[in-house]
Amino acid sequence: MINPTYLAVRTRSSANWGDAKTRVIHSYRDWIRSAPEVQQMYTLSLPVSTIRTKIRQEFERHRYVAQLKTVDVLLFNSHQEYQETLNYWKQLTHVLKYFRTEEEPKARLPANFISGFLEGRN
Amino acid sequence: MSALPRSIGSRLLPLVARPTVRRAFAPQIRHYADEPSPKINALDAPSTKPAEAAMISRESGGEGTPSHQPDYDVSIDYRVSNFSPIPKRVMDGSEPGDSVAAAVLSGAPVDLQARTVRIYRPAKSATQSGDWHSHHWVMDWDPLPKGHRWENPLMGWQSSADFMQGYSLNFKSKEDAVAFANKQGYEYFVQEPNERKFVPKAYANNFVHIPKKLKVIRTK
Repeated sequence: MINPTYLAVRTRSSANWGDAKTRVIHSYRDWIRSAPEVQQMYTLSLPVSTIRTKIRQEFERHRYVAQLKTVDVLLFNSHQEYQETLNYWKQLTHVLKYFRTEEEPKARLPANFISGFLEGRN
Repeated sequence: MSALPRSIGSRLLPLVARPTVRRAFAPQIRHYADEPSPKINALDAPSTKPAEAAMISRESGGEGTPSHQPDYDVSIDYRVSNFSPIPKRVMDGSEPGDSVAAAVLSGAPVDLQARTVRIYRPAKSATQSGDWHSHHWVMDWDPLPKGHRWENPLMGWQSSADFMQGYSLNFKSKEDAVAFANKQGYEYFVQEPNERKFVPKAYANNFVHIPKKLKVIRTK
């Protein structure tokens, strides 16, 4: 008997927008619940609130998606990241990709044209 | 395992003995050394209802039109660098239409949506008369203003911060290239090819009778 990997799910499509909304909220809740575990697993020097804010930011990035199929793919990606993170298949470098702005405050776009020009970005 | 504050026995405590949260004496939010102190108290109930919140709104007719000003407030990803151009609009999946929002799903850097792409037909080679190479359409990325090439200080090799500097995509038709650029959220412009004008001639037309006075006499 083959046991499925921890957190493996069968691929499925959302039947309608209500189904998609439920799946998104379940996925969000799973992520939020896992934030302390992620912090401990990867020994991040960030507080749990920062991790939760980042989770919220990543979900908010796709708030206005209009197509159900795109939402399905995004849900798949979210669960894929969740499985990879909690199974410790990722490394610290992969997790810290999400925290570039927190780790390096200088890595940002300029606020307006003049500050970009003075920095030399042209 | 995650360190949850609940213990196994807390579920068995009677309702009266369970510690209740008393909002009047609740502790302030814990401040971490590297976190700035938050300006609002998290225990305050939200005053705006979800329907009136400023974050959620329908865009008006004018807001949906393409913007020609760079958008400095766009959320960046981990690939931003000192040479990243500023995008004008970033695809977020809310565009109308049936095409796949590939820019949202592909995980490509947001910088790619800031760069202009040229769709053109390569010119016929001037040294030969065959035009077998100029029937397809090419998509090429415009060079970055600042990071596209410099000399490596150690060896003098040509270094670049432009990851698309050696790339070009080939398409069979202009519509394919334009659909791809739209799907990926690229800013593009199409450069129409210079078609050669060819006038088909027939030697017999030199001898056709023309009633008026001939400007050029083509026969003996």
